[in-house]
Amino acid sequence: MFSEQAAPTAQGLLAPPLAEPPTFPRVPVLGYSDCSQPFQLGERSFSRQYAHIYAVRLAGMRPGLEQRAQSRWGNDIVLRKLSELQAGEKCCIVGTLFKAMQLQPSILQEISEEHNLVPQPPLPKYIQPSDELILEDELQRIKLEGAIDVQKLVTGTILAVYGSEQDDGKFLVEDLCFADLPPPLPWTGPSSDRFVLLASGLGLGSVSGEALLSTQLLVDVVTGQLGAEGEQSCAAHITRVILAGNLLSQNTQSRDTINKAKYLTKKTQAASVEAVKMLDEILLQLCTSVPVDVMPGEFDPTNYTLPQQPLHHCMLPLASAYTTLRLVTNPYQANLDGVRFLGTSGQNISDIFKYSSMDDYLEILEWTLLAGHISPTAPDTLGCYPFYKSDPFILTECPHVYFCGNAPHFQSKLLQGKEGQQVLLVTVPDFSATQTACLVNLRDLTCQPITFSGFGTDSED
Amino acid sequence: KVRDCPRTPSQPPPDPALLEMLRRFDLSWEYGPCTGITRLQRWERAQELGLSPPGPIRDALLEHQDNPDVTYRWVWSGMGA
Repeated sequence: MFSEQAAPTAQGLLAPPLAEPPTFPRVPVLGYSDCSQPFQLGERSFSRQYAHIYAVRLAGMRPGLEQRAQSRWGNDIVLRKLSELQAGEKCCIVGTLFKAMQLQPSILQEISEEHNLVPQPPLPKYIQPSDELILEDELQRIKLEGAIDVQKLVTGTILAVYGSEQDDGKFLVEDLCFADLPPPLPWTGPSSDRFVLLASGLGLGSVSGEALLSTQLLVDVVTGQLGAEGEQSCAAHITRVILAGNLLSQNTQSRDTINKAKYLTKKTQAASVEAVKMLDEILLQLCTSVPVDVMPGEFDPTNYTLPQQPLHHCMLPLASAYTTLRLVTNPYQANLDGVRFLGTSGQNISDIFKYSSMDDYLEILEWTLLAGHISPTAPDTLGCYPFYKSDPFILTECPHVYFCGNAPHFQSKLLQGKEGQQVLLVTVPDFSATQTACLVNLRDLTCQPITFSGFGTDSED
Repeated sequence: KVRDCPRTPSQPPPDPALLEMLRRFDLSWEYGPCTGITRLQRWERAQELGLSPPGPIRDALLEHQDNPDVTYRWVWSGMGA
């Protein structure tokens, strides 16, 4: 976007300034509605067990899966519950997957005295060839074997398998199917170029200050203070900025002070205080010019369990004065100018990465969409609020843009569905590591990266 | 010494048949787990999931709203939800 339109006007930078510098009004917001109500927690009661969320997940996804199974394997297939299985009969069962993993960190193993083990260090992946898949429904569980990729699948997925029960009590799988893409939403996007800037992992408060220059360049580009008239007029087409988590760096989470004596730590300030002040100043610059949606991430000062609640506005006194600042939940869902966005700060994808053989963040993102659930590993290995009434992470409508933050690289893909769904999948890279953000064009669902490296190679586009 | 608010004496204690019906509702696996939520919450959840829980249960729960033996699931003595 920037390069094509900016180049012709670059000469303007070499000319004397005009008496009346041209101004570029930002494109107005056509329509915005926040659809994150399922992710906003009212009362928070943790006295419930997690059996409820699994029960409603299965009950909520079972009808859709049974329909998918019938359309895939024929209307005359036999749908059975596990308690009704007969040995040797070909049938279809729907249930929740459980992957028994030897390396999965288990708090019970850690505190068990008879094992006397040192807790295992965190590993990048916990998969092993000896992992087993077990399908559970409301009453029973059964081991799965056969045409099923044990390494790829993760606990908590709801799926339908077709096969038969063997004499040894295991279920031999011949084929399986997931919930597939949810029904499409009507397209009401804009007819002219409008951009949304997606960035994540600003990583403020880290020890090195290198990323600060790139962050400042990002802010200057968006607010139209960089470049010649071409670049400024392009930047005026950015209608919104979404910051997808990890605004603070992991360094702000150091907990050394907990182990020290109180008298040594009395005067020290938490590292996050300084970082939040920096965040406030950066957001202030952005908010004076463009609407900003701020999602919390893994290292941000909000609750740990999904869905993460919005950052409190008292932490950002300067920026909160502007109505353009919206503090939103993680996951976040909204209609921006008629285009439905849905995304997370990346904890769901990185958790699946740890427990699956899938290596590519874009592949995992696509897989969660096809499995019909934003975060199947919650609550097993990813902290989750104990919902009881309904599981808000089940995908009921197909978003137009589905993103995840804090990915190692930028990737994007336009997915076409059988029922006319069109989804742009975007993995937003970690800005503190890659200095790259993403520009999504709402008119035609294309996405391009924009990099702000300090020296050397080509910076934009 | 004066009591703050007199207990409403109007509600008669629920009869054992009603409690038995509610206990059976708790233990029916079709409506999901019963611990940690009130019976009314469980009934309403079953309704929203399309599992058609029996109507008389809800009427009984609303009628005896202030009786904790009715609103919460049946517990063994000493064990909480």
